[in-house]
Amino acid sequence: MDAAVRQNQTSEVFANYQIPPNFLDEVFRAPGQVHPHYQAVYQQFLEFSKEEFKALNEHAKMSFFNQGITFSVYSDKSKGVERIFPFDLFPRIIPAAEWAKVEKGILQRCVALNLFIQDIYSDQHILKDKVVPAELIFSSKNYFKAMLDFKPVGGIYTHISGTDLIKHSDGEYYVLEDNLRCPSGISYVLSNRVAMKRTLFQMFRQFNVRTVGEYPQELLATMQSVAPNGIDAPTCVVLTPGVYNSAYFEHAFLALTMGVPLVEGRDLYVDKNFVYMKTINGPKRVDVVYRRLDDDFLDPMEFKPDSMLGVPGIMAAYKKGNVTLLNAPGTGFADDKAVYTYVPDIIKYYLQEEPILNNVHTYRCEKDDDYKYVLENMDKLVIKPVDESGGYGILIGSKATQEQISEFKTLIAANRRKYIAQPVMNLSMHATFIEGEDQFEPRHVDLRSFTLLGKDRQYVLKGGLSRVALRKGSLIVNSSQGGGSKDTWVMTEDNYGMSMQQNGSMEQSMTMDGQTMTMGPQGMSIGTQGTVSMGKPGTE
Amino acid sequence: MKTDYEVVYKTHNTYEENVREAFFSFLILPCQNESQVVRSVSWSNSLEAETFQHTNPFGFEAINLHTVEPFNAFEFQMRAIVEKRMTWFPIDGLLPVEEEQRQLQDHLFYLENHLYLGFAHYTRIQEEYRSKLLMREPQQTVYDYLQKLCTFTYELLEFDPEPTHVCTSANEVLKLGRGVCQDYTHLFIGIARLNKIPCRYVSGYLNQGLDLAGSAVMHAWAEAYIPGFGWQGFDPTNNLLADMHYIKATHGSDYSDCSPLKGTLKTNGKQKTRYGVQVHPLQEAEPAQQQQLQTTL
Repeated sequence: MDAAVRQNQTSEVFANYQIPPNFLDEVFRAPGQVHPHYQAVYQQFLEFSKEEFKALNEHAKMSFFNQGITFSVYSDKSKGVERIFPFDLFPRIIPAAEWAKVEKGILQRCVALNLFIQDIYSDQHILKDKVVPAELIFSSKNYFKAMLDFKPVGGIYTHISGTDLIKHSDGEYYVLEDNLRCPSGISYVLSNRVAMKRTLFQMFRQFNVRTVGEYPQELLATMQSVAPNGIDAPTCVVLTPGVYNSAYFEHAFLALTMGVPLVEGRDLYVDKNFVYMKTINGPKRVDVVYRRLDDDFLDPMEFKPDSMLGVPGIMAAYKKGNVTLLNAPGTGFADDKAVYTYVPDIIKYYLQEEPILNNVHTYRCEKDDDYKYVLENMDKLVIKPVDESGGYGILIGSKATQEQISEFKTLIAANRRKYIAQPVMNLSMHATFIEGEDQFEPRHVDLRSFTLLGKDRQYVLKGGLSRVALRKGSLIVNSSQGGGSKDTWVMTEDNYGMSMQQNGSMEQSMTMDGQTMTMGPQGMSIGTQGTVSMGKPGTE
Repeated sequence: MKTDYEVVYKTHNTYEENVREAFFSFLILPCQNESQVVRSVSWSNSLEAETFQHTNPFGFEAINLHTVEPFNAFEFQMRAIVEKRMTWFPIDGLLPVEEEQRQLQDHLFYLENHLYLGFAHYTRIQEEYRSKLLMREPQQTVYDYLQKLCTFTYELLEFDPEPTHVCTSANEVLKLGRGVCQDYTHLFIGIARLNKIPCRYVSGYLNQGLDLAGSAVMHAWAEAYIPGFGWQGFDPTNNLLADMHYIKATHGSDYSDCSPLKGTLKTNGKQKTRYGVQVHPLQEAEPAQQQQLQTTL
């Protein structure tokens, strides 16, 4: 079909698409008109009829069931029902230039936070200089005295970080959260890519998308880089709390793709301050543990005494330098909501650089100017207590009643130190196939990125998990709350107008900036300009 | 003046069902400092399992053992000879009140001592109880205040092992008005910290020849920081200053850092734990022996 004809025709799956007036639409800039980097994919999608798209959607779902990528939902109605994490076929595309900045920003942030943790557990320069208030750190339940004056191999504490980003209506990326406690989601990123290739291979292969499949090898290399001193070929394992954990699939997935054993606490023991794995051939020494177990459960000798999930004595072995834990215990004080507000200062303090990524502007009620602003603008703000998590004690000004607002004013006045306020962030929206409606509608998305820090090595996954709030109008993207996800394409280069097509078996054609290049047994031609010779045609 | 003590720690546990795997960690060794020297120390266990050590976050040595041999009884014994020297009390040369307070309010001082100034489960005291607590008078020196606080705590509570357990917090103790050495100590620590005085939990042994409360098992007392002098031990359970009758094992922020025995077991049935300590001065016996040796030589 001719490109011009295609553009004029609006496919039925996009026919009722309403561009959100108050939010940034990542795909559409006007009805029927997409941003340049979406042009090629959009054109492909226009070719599908509603029925074809429904069939593709079913195919993608089957791919997940067949791969066994499910999570369990626990509630009164459904006890342990296996569900798939809904996957949307319309990929989220991030242009190469845009990504380059995001990647730099994520890395900058992760490196600075790692230095921050190292400083807090050693000299505490940042506290001595009063850049961050000491009480804020000392009062965190994730600040561990067991980590004081101990430096892990390579000075790395946060080997794996998951930085959550959103794109605001101003077109800028903002960091919503730093997850420094073994963040999950990477298995979905890799599985989404597999499902995408299985379902739409003919389309996928025409684009130069940065790969994500190397992640398990990068993770393994990161683990090996921080092996205890003097260990050349370290034994690495993934430590899981067990099959009842909601992320068990991911633990198994990572162990499998890295080619290392998946163990539970009961498979390991500590003797003479070394960690051993029980195998059918007898004990085998373990050098590096990627533990997907919360700090509290890691070692009953050091933390929660009644935990049966962990390994008694592993902290002592760790502090003797006989085993490395990823991530280090006690990184949680640094990804806490109250510390978040200081991350730009932390970046400047350790790196002498301006932060590349934006922080959501945060008003600290302890500061007089901020306090005044918050009181005057409660209806436009989200008020959060600094020390709580899980959404407790939050006031969303725009949805609160007058009584709730005055009640909160009293609360803040009583303890100004405890409260922060943030403007409501407008998460960008992305065209998403909605089952039942059987058409594309805009839905809010965020992006969880994945960063690995090892000894003398750094890696940022090119892409991440684009989480979608499937419920109309919802801003909540969590999988347990009706969220789905998308494959995230970071482009190798920004040739927006480019697409490639293979007609029949012998001839390939490529459209670039309106010109069509055809290659086949007869040679190669570009548009009407005559023939051009090229070394290696069809490289992707 | 010196006194030599023989310190024996013994625990005997029995289990209804076989224990298939176990990990024990003992934090019971007398420590070394300016006022005490460990002359000799040895320990043994009925399983003859090989033990290994690690240093805890406060620099004290813990003895660990791991076993996969099934057992239904376990005995552990530690014996140490500790030489205890005369301890100095902060009698004279103390700083003026203003200078003491200047040091206590200093930011770097706070950072250095923050582990002994914070409030957690054991040491946090609710607002509603604070009015009846003894606080430092504006012109009172830290040492004078702490001595009065020791007496205050001693008089506020009644020694009673019944109502409290290892998890009892200062708040609960205030409500009950009774408790054991651990409870007296947590309350003392909590109040001292409210006055911005660094204060830490000490676990150790008490000379049994004096008939003091808490000497049959491991004892607990507090150490508070006196500017210009250093750490001084206070025993609110007996209303005494910790002197040469007190043999220190460990210190920490509160009990959770000093628990003498921690362990995890794989077993199904119930267990019974018995433990006790013996702390006796050897002062009379030992020099006599040495004299004998010298004469025979």
